[in-house]
Amino acid sequence: MWHLAYRQLTAEPLRSALTACAVAATIAVILVLRGFEQGLYAQLEAAVTTRGAPLFVAQAGVSNFIAVRSSLPQLARERVEAVAGVGEAHPVTGFFVTYGPEGNRTPVYLLVHDTLGGPVRIVEGDPIRAGRDAVIDAGLAKRYGLRPGDPLVISDFRFRVAGITRGQSAMLTPFVFIGYDGLIDLFLESEIAPDLSTFPLLSFLLVELAPGAQAKAVAQAIERAVPEADVLTADELAAKDVALGQELFGPIMGALIGLAYLIGILVVGLIVYADTIARRRAFGVMKALGFRLRHMLAAVAAQTLMLLVLAWPLGVGLAFAVATGIEALAPVYRVYVLEPAGLAWALAGVLAMALAGAALPLRVVARADPTIAFQGE
Amino acid sequence: MLRWLLKTLWLQKASLVASAAGVAGAFVLVVILHAVFAGESRQMVAYVRHAAADVWVMQRGVVNMHMASSFVWAWKAKRIAELPGVRAATPILYSGTVIRIAGRTMIAYAVGLEPGARRAGPWAMAAGKAMPGRGEIVLPRVFAEMTGIGLGARVALTGKTLEVVGLSEGTYSMANPVVFVAASDLEDLMQARGTVSYILVDAQPGQDPAELAARIEREVDKVSALPQERFTRNDIQLAMQMGAEIIAFMTIIGSALAAVIIAFSAYSQVARRRRELAIAKALGVRNREIYAAVAAQTALITVLGLVLALLAAWALFPLLSALVPQITLVLTAGALWRAAAVALIVAVVSAWVPARYVARVDPLTAFKG
Repeated sequence: MWHLAYRQLTAEPLRSALTACAVAATIAVILVLRGFEQGLYAQLEAAVTTRGAPLFVAQAGVSNFIAVRSSLPQLARERVEAVAGVGEAHPVTGFFVTYGPEGNRTPVYLLVHDTLGGPVRIVEGDPIRAGRDAVIDAGLAKRYGLRPGDPLVISDFRFRVAGITRGQSAMLTPFVFIGYDGLIDLFLESEIAPDLSTFPLLSFLLVELAPGAQAKAVAQAIERAVPEADVLTADELAAKDVALGQELFGPIMGALIGLAYLIGILVVGLIVYADTIARRRAFGVMKALGFRLRHMLAAVAAQTLMLLVLAWPLGVGLAFAVATGIEALAPVYRVYVLEPAGLAWALAGVLAMALAGAALPLRVVARADPTIAFQGE
Repeated sequence: MLRWLLKTLWLQKASLVASAAGVAGAFVLVVILHAVFAGESRQMVAYVRHAAADVWVMQRGVVNMHMASSFVWAWKAKRIAELPGVRAATPILYSGTVIRIAGRTMIAYAVGLEPGARRAGPWAMAAGKAMPGRGEIVLPRVFAEMTGIGLGARVALTGKTLEVVGLSEGTYSMANPVVFVAASDLEDLMQARGTVSYILVDAQPGQDPAELAARIEREVDKVSALPQERFTRNDIQLAMQMGAEIIAFMTIIGSALAAVIIAFSAYSQVARRRRELAIAKALGVRNREIYAAVAAQTALITVLGLVLALLAAWALFPLLSALVPQITLVLTAGALWRAAAVALIVAVVSAWVPARYVARVDPLTAFKG
């Protein structure tokens, strides 16, 4: 049966190549959609874990890093640093703003840091050295053609692009890193509050532990000492942000991926159907020779599986190329095509899809007329 | 020649429908993705559209509401209210936050309302009251449906527990659901005293909003003032811009898939008719006539696929909305034109493979056994 399927595939190489390309394109669509969803969650996780602290102190009731405004009292830092087991507490403030000229505006996440929590690696330019310096994610730089030294006007306040970092975006939003001097200048110039000393300038404290201190014990001690704050480990906070992302993006991504699988079944079904129609005569001959229906169905299934073996690496390669293209052209997105768990799920799905597709021309095979074998071509 | 190929297609109706269905599948994904972003973008500005202020005033340099932060000294609202041409100035506090309802954590945008600021509150109610007092909250009805809660339930906005006193209509969107609370509650949460986020300005009858906006920017220091239409347009643009690249990439992948399917179908058709094509060539039919017929064939499959895609999208929209109530789908004329233009390119590109095959058919085949 396998030999027959192999001969069928090699008899018309162009046709087989087109078939494999169509199935590969379907696989690529599924993998890119899945990869895009996984990328969204991975970015949310990385936004927390790349801040470099084991513990995060947030406003009581706040258990997310992105998408929620946390406001800690400005004096909270001193009280947290007084807790036994705390090495150092580093302030971080984050909120969404929009950037760009009117008509071409994009949201950015303004991440204000001091001694910890800044960009992980700078791929171009320098780190923040002056009050108006900003380090921007490559996604923003690419979208607006920004280079180190260029002005970066946010809320009518002129920063300067000091450096460009990579992989610092989440929720389809690139990060902009600035220092506290820049934030205070921005707030003062914008006349946003009567008294900046009481204005919420502090969102989170990133806590480094003293040598030998246990994270859980220190977290509990901080919550006792600062009742208006909650303390989460980096992993807990990242997991909650991923869960929030799944709540937000899960339904629509699930619907699109489900639709992609349906389309995949349709495409594989179409291909196998067209192939079966073309080989009606061959099936008639097989019937005349005494082959049973199950043998013929096994031949169809074998050919479909062989096609899949050809198409799978092609599809993964195509998806990887598309993902690389997306990330290069729009670095604000991450498309995790080669993630093992995602690949395994997609392979299982594609296999089921191929078998479902192969079942579509069942009627044609069953109805193949054995007398066709004795007719002229 | 064209008639012959069309007849051939007609004889293979099942194949034709299957090919068109495959093409439709590739296009339907692109159309639905676009509809999701268009629907979401439209729904995201529901609050701005329904609040219908003549002029929106905000922190200088801010030009929209979604994913923006704006802080304006509260006294500026009083100053604006006194300007000529202003009928009323209603300040609101506004902040992106998360809400915990029945164990689920969801993104929400909170609007903090001063007592009596009904014009900035929800515009349609499904149940309960529209104006929340201290310790109260008005949620989108969809939130209540998703989580199975009702009036009187208690939810947590950041760290504050609030009682649900109203369920509003039309305030839900996947990325921008709007909840209403008392300004004092939101002030506590944001710890922002003496500050508001936006000021909704109603103009005197006959006052041109653009003129009024310019006057506000002249008279009040360090604020931006935009007429309703421009403010709404900025928010829609921002939302669509966030999805533009993904839509573009998915259009490319979907189109490539459609091209391969069409090429495959057309190739299968001509390959099956190899002998007849050889006879046609032997009888003197020229290659370019055969190319034209092949191109017509791919165009027909593409057009059929596109029509099927639109029919499928039309049928799928209510189904998807029922299965995933969080999404709003809107099919725009722009999306349809774009799909048609892409389909045309796809048809031309995919004709190349079968045409190449036809060119290689040897007329001598007709005389062989």
